[in-house]
Amino acid sequence: MSRNIIDIQHLTKRFGAFTAVDDMHLEVREGEIFGFLGPNGAGKTTTISILTTLIKPTRGTAIVDGHDIREDAIGVRSVIGVVPQSFALFPELTAEENLAYIGRLYGLSEAEIKKRSDELLETVSLSQYKDRIAGIFSSGMKQRLSLAASIISNPKILFMDEPTTGLDPQSRIAMRELTKKLNRKGMTIIYTTHDMDEAEKICDRITIMDEGCIVADGTAKELKKLGGETVIEIELAQPDEAIVVELQKLRFVTAAEREGKLILLRVKRQENIFYELSDFFRKRKRDVHEIRFKEPTLEEVFIKLTQKELRD
Amino acid sequence: MAKPRAKRKTRAEASTRTRRNGERFLDFRKIGAIMRKNLTVILRDKTRLLPLLLFPVFMIVIFGYTTGTAPTHIPAAVIAYDHSPLSQQFQETIAQSQTFAVRSVVSTEGEGRKLLDAGTVRVLIVLPAGMQETIDGGGQVAVTVVVDESDSAIAATSRQVLTALTDSFSARLSQERIAALQRDIDAAASTLRSTALSQQDGYATIGESASAAEGSLVQAAALIAAEKKAVTGSAPPPTLFIPRTIPKGERFVNAGDVSLVETTASASAGAQADLLNRALAFLDRAAVSIGRSVSLAGSSAAKGAAQQGYQAQQERVEKPMHALRVFTAYAPGDLRSPIVYEEKPAYGTGKRAVDFLIPAIIALTIFQGAVMGMGRAVVGEKREGSLTRVFLTPTSNATIILGTLFFYIIFELFRSTFLILFAVTLFHVQIEGSLLAIGLLLVIYAGVSTGIGMILSSMVSTEQQYQGLALLVGMPTVFLAGVFFPLEAMPRLFQILADFLPVTYAAEALRDVMIKGFGLSLIIPPLLLLLLFLAGTLGLLFVVFKRDIE
Repeated sequence: MSRNIIDIQHLTKRFGAFTAVDDMHLEVREGEIFGFLGPNGAGKTTTISILTTLIKPTRGTAIVDGHDIREDAIGVRSVIGVVPQSFALFPELTAEENLAYIGRLYGLSEAEIKKRSDELLETVSLSQYKDRIAGIFSSGMKQRLSLAASIISNPKILFMDEPTTGLDPQSRIAMRELTKKLNRKGMTIIYTTHDMDEAEKICDRITIMDEGCIVADGTAKELKKLGGETVIEIELAQPDEAIVVELQKLRFVTAAEREGKLILLRVKRQENIFYELSDFFRKRKRDVHEIRFKEPTLEEVFIKLTQKELRD
Repeated sequence: MAKPRAKRKTRAEASTRTRRNGERFLDFRKIGAIMRKNLTVILRDKTRLLPLLLFPVFMIVIFGYTTGTAPTHIPAAVIAYDHSPLSQQFQETIAQSQTFAVRSVVSTEGEGRKLLDAGTVRVLIVLPAGMQETIDGGGQVAVTVVVDESDSAIAATSRQVLTALTDSFSARLSQERIAALQRDIDAAASTLRSTALSQQDGYATIGESASAAEGSLVQAAALIAAEKKAVTGSAPPPTLFIPRTIPKGERFVNAGDVSLVETTASASAGAQADLLNRALAFLDRAAVSIGRSVSLAGSSAAKGAAQQGYQAQQERVEKPMHALRVFTAYAPGDLRSPIVYEEKPAYGTGKRAVDFLIPAIIALTIFQGAVMGMGRAVVGEKREGSLTRVFLTPTSNATIILGTLFFYIIFELFRSTFLILFAVTLFHVQIEGSLLAIGLLLVIYAGVSTGIGMILSSMVSTEQQYQGLALLVGMPTVFLAGVFFPLEAMPRLFQILADFLPVTYAAEALRDVMIKGFGLSLIIPPLLLLLLFLAGTLGLLFVVFKRDIE
């Protein structure tokens, strides 16, 4: 369908004896929001730094919109934008001056800069603050300005390194909305985050990295299938141990336990389970109040795949 | 075994109790914990630890060598218009002093000035023509000294030591002279005494004159002895103090007889001259009488013998006469100080310490400003990520480096202009040389300084580390620039180190232009050297300035 805008081959980065990225292969399709997940130290930031030409790989390479990161760093830089984790602008300059400075470093003409910065300040809702120095901005405003600066050159690909970390809920939502808006206009977005919920909400495709390797890759739905088991909660009128023992004997059940009025079943598959269970209880003349399917969360998938908690 | 364990238990209980009771005023376990944490932190931050350790070592060495001890081996040039043994002797005295290292002996002041302008020497010592002749003839000569004011410590030491050296040399000379006079006069007195005795019968005139002359000579000898005592009896060189008058009531011993002569009033120069003139007059008469007695001698044989004898006597009389004439010819001070110290200004007139300080301060502030400023400009931006954002744009290293460099060059030019204007307004400092030369020097030098700052900041990753490094590089520069502390007083190693500091050349060249009024052509060598520094700095900067943010 759509072409690969980033193509990573055999990408390896070693720092002394430590291998941060280990023979990585990955493709990012044009126009998607691509989520990069992984515990701290998994190699996400290193990978992003290599893709954005900030550091050089030890081995392997990546083609970013037709530009080889090893041979054509300038070409790569001209098609990408990066929203760094920190503010990374000049607190002494006004919002507009910051944008103009970055615009000039991208080689834009003064007229283009004026046009783009007006547009962008409008997009990130900072038009009324354009003459204020950035140092006095709130974290949310700073992050929005940072985003504006990152896309002043109208890049094809935007790298966002944990753009919502440290922001309040409203600002997080605003950032996510902005990200989606940019994506709708055709920008490919590489999004790293710690927030599984966020990743699931905005990413078309997610890659989970651990110890320098890709552990899983796919849509949120696909990933959930890979990881964890589905848990079924059954609310019975009178749950007892006998029924739990009987449930355990079912082919698709891996484990069953009673928790107060609830019976929790772990199952291998999801298909037809509802019907089989209804049948099971009808035969035993048991009153079932409710049968709830609980899908595994991405977090559970993540922990299962990496054997690590997400945060540290 | 059981007892100490029990004790420990109670202590443990006690500490549990205090813990339960909240905080103690002094908790030594916690003090220990804080100390241990700080030790671990500082030991792990090598980039901070190293400057912290090296800096005091450097300070101790610098101050140890420069405080209290006068600079030694100050490069000096002797301009010898006189090549007499006396001039040689004076040069040896200077060479032996350790304070000065005579780099060259030239024959004209022009050559000497060139050496001074080039900074090869700091002091010129001019030995006047006919030095020995004048002194031997009873005159006084002045040794002229030209001191480079650029280093106030060196200038002060040079002045002090040269004055003392001249004075002590002069005093020694006058002592020798007085001793010789004394010997001559003693000899003359004894000759005249024997003449007086032998001529008493028949040649009364000779006898009278001779004995009168002897009397005067005895008194003259006593006076000279007093003079000698006045010279030798004072404090030894180098700070020789010669009293202008002989103190009242001075007792001195008659050199010939054992009689004591007591002067009731001060033996003024006039009285001395009077006494000596009287002795001279008698000697004259004695000589005339001797001459007459020779011609009056009877037989030719007797005449011949007498003539020989009288001639010998006459010669012995004439020698002290000459000595006395020399002695009286001296102005009273001249005998005591045949050589005096004189000074000529090195450049223009009325250049003060502040005039010499301004160029050095400009050189230092540019360096310090650039080194300190780069902490914010590179390390700070690196830490805040704004430099990383710049790295993400299609902008080359050369562009980033030159953009930073050009700005700081202009900034430093502006700062220097402000400083110069301030100095001109407040201290009435006059700029002698070409403004173009100053501007050119400042541009290149600001480039070098900024480049060094950028190199340093490329080597560290935090502003704290940078502060340590900047301190380690910046502070020694203040000391090694030779502005506040004389380099000459420092160990050889430091002097070599100073040769590798751009501030050394910049300060010197700025001084040459601002104070000595050098034109562009004269400062080409330091300008080229600074350009070399700039090339080296930029070359290194391009190597160490990495985009890799590993």
